[in-house]
This record gives sequence, structure tokens and C-alpha cells, in this order.
Amino acid sequence: MSHGSEPIADAAPGAGAEQITEEITGFLTDALRRPIGPDDDYFELGLVDSLFALELVTYVEQRFALTVEVEDLDLDSFRTAHRLTEFVRRKTGADAGRRTHVGDH
Amino acid sequence: MNAVGTFRAATPIAVDAAGWHLPDRTRAVAELPELADLPEADRRTCLNLGIDTVLVDDELTAGDLAEHAARAALERAGLAAGELGALIVVEPRAPETLISSDATRLQHALGATEATTFTVGGLGCVSVAPALLAARGLLAADPGLRHALVVHGSKPAGRGRYRHPVTVNGDSGQALLLSRPGEVPAPVRVLDLVQRTNGAYWDLFGLDYRDRPTAQWREECRDLPGYSFRLAMETRRRLSALVDELLARNGRTRGDIAGWASQNLSAGGLAFTEETLDVKLLPSCRENLRGYGHLGPNDIFLNLWTALDRRDLAEGDLAVLVNVSPVAAWSVLLVEMGPRGRGPSQGGNA
Repeated sequence: MSHGSEPIADAAPGAGAEQITEEITGFLTDALRRPIGPDDDYFELGLVDSLFALELVTYVEQRFALTVEVEDLDLDSFRTAHRLTEFVRRKTGADAGRRTHVGDH
Repeated sequence: MNAVGTFRAATPIAVDAAGWHLPDRTRAVAELPELADLPEADRRTCLNLGIDTVLVDDELTAGDLAEHAARAALERAGLAAGELGALIVVEPRAPETLISSDATRLQHALGATEATTFTVGGLGCVSVAPALLAARGLLAADPGLRHALVVHGSKPAGRGRYRHPVTVNGDSGQALLLSRPGEVPAPVRVLDLVQRTNGAYWDLFGLDYRDRPTAQWREECRDLPGYSFRLAMETRRRLSALVDELLARNGRTRGDIAGWASQNLSAGGLAFTEETLDVKLLPSCRENLRGYGHLGPNDIFLNLWTALDRRDLAEGDLAVLVNVSPVAAWSVLLVEMGPRGRGPSQGGNA
């Protein structure tokens, strides 16, 4: 299953959280074939099987050009689109980027 | 393609013959009695597993299924049970009685009086891997031991056959007659295998049986998100690493592999394995899944033999057999095809 086109990792530090959440809810809505809101816990709703979990992690890795490491496999980071957004921004340095940008040069 | 080379780390074992007992009766998954008691979402999950029917023989115990398969394998090989040097029983999901021995029961039933006999298990459907490891060790260590029989009777522990949200269990027996590779080429050679476990998942699935009538036995998952997410992601990492390790230590690459087979849990599970390893599984996996259901440790070799029977694999081909169990255990086997053997549809009760 393929969703989106080019990885947006390069844009992620500058990308707003809203844009990332929108991307992710779009993927979830397509993949689960039902509307998924930013705070819907699709695990709690019983919508996730192993294959979907694989597709979700693969999507996040490819779309945002990051690697989900073993230590990242905290279910709470993947439960909702909002939490995934936080995870993506954390992994891509978007949050830190804003805090540490001044003085980088 | 001959896999003998400088990279090979393991001693190969020959599968001289394989025997099955596949009941001639089936039950439609849609007609499973336990579906009536399930919430609608769970019922839908069960009906969407990619399993139409499961093999059923309500008259036979797991021990009976194993015995029928053992006799079929011995008959196919023209070997008397008394000539067996080892009889290794892959434990049933639930023993008929506690304290007694399923392994020596089978030894007695077959008349395998000279066989070193014991049970292995603890790893769900991956338990066939330690059985092969034990057989390989015995064959390597004891020059006087010529034949080892690995046997399993697969039957659900309770009356219910559906394990939410994983699979539907069918009934079957399987026996693999193993030896050191000799002058007469075997239908299949197990060149190498790798097995790993992660005990953190030891009780992810369980069945509380104490003080409960068997009608109330249920195979239950204590952490569904954990199964669907954490174990799935660990499996993604583990399987890729195990396959890489197996192929590397045998001086092979994925391009050398003519066929991939796995255990049959569900259509989603097969797709998961395909996506994880970026391979296409042999058609026999989906075919057997659809018609037979999950047969536990018997799946991978049944799928391999069905592929041979369908001529999807030819002499000299290499195949990788993948097994995953939620206890959690993973195994990958590298096997090489010999001259065409008789597949499950060509003899016995299969």
C-alpha cells in the first residue's frame, strides 16, 4: 500500500504539526477505510492488525524519511494521529529545531 | 543448485520421507459453533482470515493424528518402527492426561522399541525447529543412529477452533523421517536453521484450564495491541535479521532462493511475511490456509511438500521456511529439494 508521494522529511522541521497530522489522518482514513480523526485511538477501536501495524510504521518511515528503532516501539506514540505527529516531529528534530535554531550558525 | 560450500556452517539432515494424516472431513469456518458467542467485530475478523474450511476429525486425539502420520511416513520409507533410532514428538497443544507421556505412548503404539524417545516443544508452531535441532544433534553425535522420526499431532486445546484475532486451528498429523544425507538423495534436505526467542512474550496468549470445563476453554490474548503492534514490529526486525543470518552463513543471497513458505495463520499474516521480507510466498501457503486452517508446527513442511506436488519447486531448488510463534519464537530453515518425493496428495490419508 502506498500513500503520499515524496518523503517530506526535509520539510518536516519547517512543516507545521497541522500539515503532518493532516498527512497522517489521510493515510489512516484510506488504510482503515473509515474516517479517522486526529485523536481517534485506532488501537482502542480494534482496527489494527499486524499487517496494518506494519503498513503504518512503513508509511511513517518512508513518508517522513525516518527510521523507527526498537526503542521507538512505544505503542503510545502510535495510538493517534496527534501522537504520531509528535513522534514524527521528535524524530525529525522539528521540535528541537525550533528550540535550538538560534545560534546554530 | 548445490548448497555445499565453504560458507556452510551446519550439518545438513535429509528428510527421507514425510507422512501426513489430513482428515477427509472439513468444517466451514462460517459454521463454527463459537462464532455465535462472539461480538460482531470479532466474528468479522474470524471470517476475514482467509480460511474457508478447517480439517476436522472429532474422533481422533492429537496422539492418534501423530500415530497415523508416523505410520504413513514409515510405510512410505519402507522402514520398520523397530529400526528407528530416535522418536521425537513435538508436544501437542494439550496432553490427554497429565503426568503420563505422549512420547512413549507413541513409541509403544508404533513399536519403536529401540528409539531414543522424548518430547520437545514450548514454542507453539515454531516447536518443529527444536525437534529438527535435536534430531540433527543426535544424528551428528551418534554414528550408530540412522533414522530419527519427528512427529506432531495438531489439534486445538479446547473445543473452540478460533483464536482471536489470529487464526482458526485445524486437525492434522505429520511425521518427518530424518537421516544423515547419504548416497540416495532425499526428497528434501534441511541445510541449516536458525531459531530465536524472546521470553518477554511468554504469556501473550494463554488458556486458563484449571477448574474449568473444557467447553469453557478459550485461547486468549492478554494484550491485543501488544500482539498487533509490538510483536509485529519485533517480528519485522527479527525475521529480516534471521533470514540475512541464515543466508549469509550459507554463502547465499535472496536471489538464490526459489521459494518461500511460512506457517498458515491468516491471509493478513501471509501478506505481513511477504511485506516484511519483500518476497512472494509459494501459492501452497494460501491454498492450504484456505482449505485446512492453521495446523501448527505441521504447516511449513506441508506447504513445502504441496509446492513440490504442484511442481512449484524442482530438484536443486533452495527454499526458505519461515515460522513465527507469539510466545515469541522465530525460526527460518534453508532447505534444498532433491528428487521429487511423494507429496501429501499422492498417498496416505492426505
